Amino acid sequence: MPEPGTAAGPAVLAEAIDAWRTWTLAGSNDGLDVRLYPIAGTGKAWPVREPVLGRCARRRSHAVPGLDCTCGIHATHTIDILRRTRDPSVLGTVALWGSVAEHEHGWRAEFGYPQRLALICQLCFWQRGGSSSSCDIVVRHRGGRMVPLCTPHLDLCRRYGYPVRRVLEASTVERAVLGAYAVDVLRLSVPSASGAGIGDHAVV
Amino acid sequence: MDIGPLKRVIEVEPVSLPVPEELPEPERVPEAEPAEPAP
Repeated sequence: MPEPGTAAGPAVLAEAIDAWRTWTLAGSNDGLDVRLYPIAGTGKAWPVREPVLGRCARRRSHAVPGLDCTCGIHATHTIDILRRTRDPSVLGTVALWGSVAEHEHGWRAEFGYPQRLALICQLCFWQRGGSSSSCDIVVRHRGGRMVPLCTPHLDLCRRYGYPVRRVLEASTVERAVLGAYAVDVLRLSVPSASGAGIGDHAVV
Repeated sequence: MDIGPLKRVIEVEPVSLPVPEELPEPERVPEAEPAEPAP
């Protein structure tokens, strides 16, 4: 019997797929007007309160996600693979729907929208993963890019000359993100013995 | 980020879209007519 979604044609699901993703963040000087941005790709902000449409950055005239392309909204099965991403500022879950290509470690989708979000200290995230990457402040750079950090890593940045122009309260910026996208906060806990949860972490 | 080789393609047609609805415009409360002076 052929595998669903191969020789027999695409499998059809009636519920959106939940997967993991990271974003960069940019916003206003006061941190109250903020938007998520893809880490790679078009560089356009994710719109608020409307489906995000996957596009082909190579401007190919094919349906997204193309089978011989890398286009579509990317997300992963587990958090750990995201620790390799460049400049992650926000970690979260994303709902995927429409035409969805399943890969060995993640997905590429036609449509998506964030479901739960949390600001993360990217240095902690790179070192220890999602369950211990909470942040205390957000550094806002000229141009609006925002980098959440924990207090020890902020001190380290200052000591080594990382430019820290403007520092905002992380709780203020996180509330603004959750409000803009009308989603709930992502709370991470350590892995449970039963293996419950998605990937290596349980979501509360 | 490498998500590995393609396994299969799925069509996902959720019964309800996982997108919060746009906030309704706040209802405009008509300004009260100025009260007529009591005779």
